[in-house]
Amino acid sequence: MRSPLATLSDTDRALLKDRLRKPVLTFLALMGLLAVNVTLGATLPFEHVWALELVVVAAMALVVLLVSMEVLHEPPLVKLFSGLGFFWVAIMVGMTLTDYLGR
Amino acid sequence: MSASGTIDSGIANREPHAPEATLDRPADYLHAQSTLRSWFLTTDHKRIAILYLASITAFFIIGAVAAGVVRLALVVPNGAVMANDTYNKAFTIHGVVMVWFFLIPSIPATFGNFLIPLMIGAKDLAFPKLNLTSWYVFMTGALFTMVSVVLGGIDTGWTFYAPLSTAFSNGWVLPALIGVTIVGFSSILTGLNFVVTIHTMRAPGMTWFKLPIFVWTHYATSLIFLLATPVITTALILLIMERAFHIGVFDPAYGGDPVLFQHLFWFYSHPAVYIMVLPGMGVISEIIPAFAQKKLFGYRFVAYAAIGLASVTFFVWGHHMFINGQSDLASLAFSALSFAVAVPSAVKVYNWTATIHKGKLRLDTPMLYAMGYIGLFVLGGLTGLYLATLAINQHIHATYFVVAHFHYIMVGGTVLAFLGGLHFWWPKFTGRMYNEAWGRISALLIFLGFNVTFFPQFILGYLGMPRRYATYPPEFQMLNVLSSAGATILAAGYIFPMLYLVYSLWFGRKAPVNPWDAKGLEWETTSPPPTLNFASPPEVPRVPYDYPIQEQETKAQHR
Amino acid sequence: MSTGLADGVGIKRAHHFETVAQQRYAATLGIWAWLITELLLFAALFLVALIVRIQHPEATQEAARHLKFWIGAVNTVVLIVSSLTMSMAIEFSRIGWQRAMVRAMLATAALGSLFLVLKGYEYYADYEEHMMPFLGSRPYELTASPASRLFVNLYYVATLLHGLHLLTGISLLLGMTWIASKAGFLSRHQNWIEIYGLYWHFIDLIWIMAFPILYVVNR
Repeated sequence: MRSPLATLSDTDRALLKDRLRKPVLTFLALMGLLAVNVTLGATLPFEHVWALELVVVAAMALVVLLVSMEVLHEPPLVKLFSGLGFFWVAIMVGMTLTDYLGR
Repeated sequence: MSASGTIDSGIANREPHAPEATLDRPADYLHAQSTLRSWFLTTDHKRIAILYLASITAFFIIGAVAAGVVRLALVVPNGAVMANDTYNKAFTIHGVVMVWFFLIPSIPATFGNFLIPLMIGAKDLAFPKLNLTSWYVFMTGALFTMVSVVLGGIDTGWTFYAPLSTAFSNGWVLPALIGVTIVGFSSILTGLNFVVTIHTMRAPGMTWFKLPIFVWTHYATSLIFLLATPVITTALILLIMERAFHIGVFDPAYGGDPVLFQHLFWFYSHPAVYIMVLPGMGVISEIIPAFAQKKLFGYRFVAYAAIGLASVTFFVWGHHMFINGQSDLASLAFSALSFAVAVPSAVKVYNWTATIHKGKLRLDTPMLYAMGYIGLFVLGGLTGLYLATLAINQHIHATYFVVAHFHYIMVGGTVLAFLGGLHFWWPKFTGRMYNEAWGRISALLIFLGFNVTFFPQFILGYLGMPRRYATYPPEFQMLNVLSSAGATILAAGYIFPMLYLVYSLWFGRKAPVNPWDAKGLEWETTSPPPTLNFASPPEVPRVPYDYPIQEQETKAQHR
Repeated sequence: MSTGLADGVGIKRAHHFETVAQQRYAATLGIWAWLITELLLFAALFLVALIVRIQHPEATQEAARHLKFWIGAVNTVVLIVSSLTMSMAIEFSRIGWQRAMVRAMLATAALGSLFLVLKGYEYYADYEEHMMPFLGSRPYELTASPASRLFVNLYYVATLLHGLHLLTGISLLLGMTWIASKAGFLSRHQNWIEIYGLYWHFIDLIWIMAFPILYVVNR
């Protein structure tokens, strides 16, 4: 930093607040979702809780991809690339499960 | 440097100051610098392509010698020529080297590397240093695998199926596995570079539907590199762990599942067939319009078919596992989906033949290879439909029918396209013309030798001869001898080009800018091109494949 | 991506690109293409975990209950904090606050190292509990359940592979921090920070997925 936090000028302070709002909110959202999952994992409140846990993970992944990695602000091609890998994972898992769930 | 490839030194001499000391050498990429360092630390995509060309040719020779050993062993039915163990090692070396170190890098890493920037009007690939890195990664992987070969070889087959490779095989499996794992990264880096280059480096005005099909098929190939290769990396890492630490996931003794390895293996290795085939299709799509002097028929459909093949190929891997214990549901799904592959493949073949129709044909060497390609690819493709059919597959699974089928695709397809492309672009790569008569003789020899070698194997497989055995019942001997005899013709066909092409480097006629009257930006620049590819920014043509003969029937093809 | 860059912040064009925008776009696309391969690399391991779970549900649950759930959870927190510091480094790079950026990068590297230290401690605890079935010479805790070895060994392969990525990431980050602390860096290579940030976030994301898949859902 150009100078210690206490002596930042008002404009710099405003700039800092403006720039860091999104990362901090993202951080809080991720921590909240993690807290949900850790609680679920530690207490195991009901049968098949894994399904809910996976939903929470999916939400965390979406937050990281869309906000932390700024996919929301990227051009369409980058959006496509960010989803392509997950789509291919779905192909791999889905086609493999036709075997293992069909045995 | 002007487009005609000569430097007018007279102008320089008219300057009042003393002229700069100039070396009497052309400024093309081959002669710009000549130190070893300038080759091994180059970031010029054309020089890296030449490094790859030299390396994969060496691997082709190693793989071909191993094939010769296999055919020699199979001349007699009782395995008297060599020990069974030697035979197993020979066919494994042949498979490992040909698949991982020749076929997969063959066309993309050499022609793709050289031509994609030229075809799209760019100065280089997007990441030149990464491109050089990929060659070093390739050579590192090759080193590991060659260590395994030199120390005594392996007998797992190129597929490394567990538990043979993890528990039963003796020999140097680990270095070979590590080598193949490493080579995967060079594929990934090449594919990544191509994808980004084709997206971002096209010259102004070079829209997607002005790109040559060669670029489209390489784009499709690169997607497969990116989407499939990491999975085989994981599969091989698990296999290495299994062999080194007995982690158990593929070991039935602990409840592990060897079929799971096959799933992961074929999730990569079936799409890898299209890594090997698609670039060849791109080569053929360039050669045929040039030697028919006719616009490529159905350009958009050929382009879409490339992307279609690259997508469909991810849904069919289970057809390698019909009798390996996977569920009936999986077998049915994979069988039905496998038939879908025939559609885009046929689209391409029909479009090539329609391009030839009423064209002004010249049967020069590249065109001979291209015509051979179409015929052999059709035969290889149609027999693939037999294999995709569940009931027939029960009968011919793991027989010589499979061996013949994929050699019709891999040799009849990829190798012929590789040789055709090598002759087509040789003047551009080297600035020299090869001997046309020798070229044609070799092309015909290869076509003849290939069919004599592999057609009998269809019959052998149909009659029930299993693959990978060192011995066979005596009634199969006649066809096996025929196959081995064909291999000697094939070998002669391979040796000739190596001789006359190398000869042409020093004694060949100087090549003009565009010896074939072909279209495409690579034919606009000098032969060989300057280091930054174009002396002045190239002008992108109005339409792709703007040949004299246009299709009369498709008047409505405005957009 | 290039939104809101301060004056004097940007990148220097390399010879083979026509424009700076083209160069920036190529780099962004390149790292995303690389991340696709990283995703599939780990996804294949997760698929193996799923198949092991389907084929041996009891053994897998028994093995998963021996994993150090709380160390895994704390490590997830560590990486989420490191994602925050990395995001801060990117924001600082955009507004040209070079010293703040360098400090945020060092903090990120420190948090990554903390993760590895905790992971190392976890391995040590596993060793003490005889939960290393791949060690041929050491007795294994769950000998009665041979299939549990599959999951436990897979846990080591997955976490070691992730740890290797993190170690590579920390080394790259420290090397880059050294370069980035020099004068004029932000006017030449600002997008390095963005590209590297994408890699770091993604390695965190892999762990964010690995923690539930290995530690949580099989409990």
